[in-house]
Amino acid sequence: MNAQNAISTGYGGPNLNYLTNGSSLQSWLLTKDHKRIAIMYLVTVSMFFLMGGLYAATIRLELLTPASDLVESATYNKVFTQHGILMIFFFLIPSIPAILGNFLLPIMIGAKDLALPRINLLSLYFYWIGGGLALWALMQGGVDTGWTFYTPYSTTFSNSYVMAVGLGIFINGFSSILTGLNFIVTIHTMRAPGMTWFRLPLFVWAHYAVSLVMILGTPVIAITILLLAIERLAHIGIFDPAIGGDPILFQHLFWFYSHPAVYIMILPGMGVISELISNFSRKKIFGYEFIAFSSIAIAVFGFLVWGHHMFVSGQSIYAGMVFSFLTMVVAVPSAIKMFNWTATMYKGSISFDTPMLYAIGFMGLFLIGGLTGLFLGSMGLVVHLTDTYFVVAHFHYVMVGGQVIAYLGGLHYWWPKMTGKMYSEFWGKISAMLVFVGFNLTFFPQFILGYQGMPRRYASYPDEFQVLNIFSTAGASVLGVGLLMPAVYLIHSLFFGKPAGDNPWMLPGLEWRTSSPPPTENFETMPVVTWEAYEFGEESGLDLEAAKQREAMTV
Amino acid sequence: MSAHYSDKFVYHEPGLQHQFEDMGQQEESVAIGMWMFLVQEIMFFGGLFTAYLVFRSKYPMAFAAGSNHLDAFWGGLNTLVLIVSSLTMALTVYYAQKGNRNMQVILIVLTMFFGSVFLGVKAIEYTDKYNHGLIPVTGLNKKIKEDKSANHETGHEKPCWDVDHNAPVVEHANPRGDFQWKDCSLVKLAQDHNYLTSAEKIGYFSNGEIDADKFRDKVRIFFYLYFVMTGLHALHMIVGLGLMSWLLWTAAKGVYSGDYYMPVEMSGLYWHFVDIVWIFLFPLLYLLGRHFLH
Repeated sequence: MNAQNAISTGYGGPNLNYLTNGSSLQSWLLTKDHKRIAIMYLVTVSMFFLMGGLYAATIRLELLTPASDLVESATYNKVFTQHGILMIFFFLIPSIPAILGNFLLPIMIGAKDLALPRINLLSLYFYWIGGGLALWALMQGGVDTGWTFYTPYSTTFSNSYVMAVGLGIFINGFSSILTGLNFIVTIHTMRAPGMTWFRLPLFVWAHYAVSLVMILGTPVIAITILLLAIERLAHIGIFDPAIGGDPILFQHLFWFYSHPAVYIMILPGMGVISELISNFSRKKIFGYEFIAFSSIAIAVFGFLVWGHHMFVSGQSIYAGMVFSFLTMVVAVPSAIKMFNWTATMYKGSISFDTPMLYAIGFMGLFLIGGLTGLFLGSMGLVVHLTDTYFVVAHFHYVMVGGQVIAYLGGLHYWWPKMTGKMYSEFWGKISAMLVFVGFNLTFFPQFILGYQGMPRRYASYPDEFQVLNIFSTAGASVLGVGLLMPAVYLIHSLFFGKPAGDNPWMLPGLEWRTSSPPPTENFETMPVVTWEAYEFGEESGLDLEAAKQREAMTV
Repeated sequence: MSAHYSDKFVYHEPGLQHQFEDMGQQEESVAIGMWMFLVQEIMFFGGLFTAYLVFRSKYPMAFAAGSNHLDAFWGGLNTLVLIVSSLTMALTVYYAQKGNRNMQVILIVLTMFFGSVFLGVKAIEYTDKYNHGLIPVTGLNKKIKEDKSANHETGHEKPCWDVDHNAPVVEHANPRGDFQWKDCSLVKLAQDHNYLTSAEKIGYFSNGEIDADKFRDKVRIFFYLYFVMTGLHALHMIVGLGLMSWLLWTAAKGVYSGDYYMPVEMSGLYWHFVDIVWIFLFPLLYLLGRHFLH
């Protein structure tokens, strides 16, 4: 709780936090401190997010008019491919685990660092190498296969930089694997005394589940990309139907990773939301065990539903029926989370700070995203909806409405802890609301467009679809402004923000019991946990009077 | 990084990293980490085994034909070599726990020796494939010029299933270094006994006749998988040899004792894992359709 005490570790001198403990380039690039690694991830992931966003802007501008006038079709193919690749592999997958998870997971469980700090640094370098390679390929002329790399187009016909981008994703995959491995080891062995499994914050449970998916899923995409690369290089292969290969096998292998990958993206987001909902309702979370195990259940079921991406691409109808059923089953643990969050808010003392606005936005958007997933999981309806904008809208409701909003909520929530500075609450709220409105305006029309039959991945479309497309593009502009604003006021807060104090939200979690920013070793002494998770009572050492005063100030 | 620990503390626990409280915690972390790494390795090879399973169930005759060309003697020898190397590796861990430096060094050298023998045998086998035009990439096989005098002695060629397996091996002309496969006798056999799979009935035939080129493409899939699977396995062996060299260096310095032997045990886990992959590869690749050979 006490900043003065927390810093006097005798290590790195007095009054040094992780940011000021060493300022040379070497002290950053060769650091083993999970917090510095998280900050370096934050900077690079944000750059990839910006680039992916620019591609998205190009897509929306092109679709403003029915004709393909801004970019020609071949360029458009590259634009949406690169939007997908940058956003999925280099933003959505690493963002919450590698930034927020990396920074907070050890602090939340009372550890000095992740169990394998050098492996953590290695994973950052894999990310940089993989990302650099992908960027290089994009500069050379990019790739036009769609982010799914379907064969035989990607192996035999495409004339773009499939190999370089594939290698980039291959290398980046090891970053993901090593992060997941590190988290699992850390959660198993590094918990502070008294931090039992059922006292872990739900953010940590979500990261445990997502680490399992990373470890089990990512190697499969690695071998798939390797086979694809050999096939493309040597013109022999097992995915080319012309010589007896099986393109459906590629789809099976690809989606065996890439479907669980959407759970890699959304599960940590759900972990963030559990934190936000409970803490900003100032109420112990409802059904802790159910939320914890629903994360594990989503991770497990997530591995059994990949076939729902192949309902119309030659998979046997009996396999399709099983996959369809299992897809419906995944809705159960997701619904458990939604109900528990709602029940947590019920009769809670809710404060509408910026992170909570994001969390409430998440609940609405994820609800729509999840329920439209059921449309796409039913075999009959999907014949009509497959490869239309309905799929695009569903995916973005879950990924942007879910993951990105959860990430932004988490970033705002822990920003005072990470930097020691408070951002402008006024601009934070404006931006949160702009994102929510802009997002809905962008993607809700796409549900209608898709239902009316507008196919995805085309640069031009019939005139009848133009009105809704204009809505969508207008919404994208609002969304873009809403997403750029945090970049401005968060950076502004670094230099001009008020000092946040150790516990600006008056919360009981372990991360709020060390100084802001934390010292390199996180805690002055090894913390001993004597309270349950989300325990807002006096016995957890929380000063409720101060909390109330702060609430009175913010209103 | 561990300046705040007293010298005495460091003296007692030489390998303790700064983020851990004691050796027990460190050892547990390292062990879980290694097992998780092996889990992801299993998934990595799992993708390949899936591809193998799909194509073997589609084209069993092509896989049997390809497998019959692999030399089960070399494969069996390598299996034996690897199992013995696993024994020497396990003994290394035992002697590391005992702190017996000399036995560690001897056993690590033996493990490396067996690992190298394995790779040497692999090289012999790959060379054989190179000579017989069985590398599935055009241009990577031995290039054999066309012998114009020998080719024109008969006006018609024998059907591709009419092969005398006891005749001396003929070198076929292969000017571009293509993948070559001339022998369709197993297709004929399966057709006569009516056990072609539905994929094979399409995949080996053109207009109801056995199509040598189409069959060759399916055999090429077998050799593609053979090279990818054994190649990745060999790559893991080479990494393992690198690990062993590092172990040899540290063991010779006498680093390991009953208090600190995790690096040896973890390298051992890796080594055993690579062995086990081979235990699966050997029957799947070498022992298919042996009865067709006799």
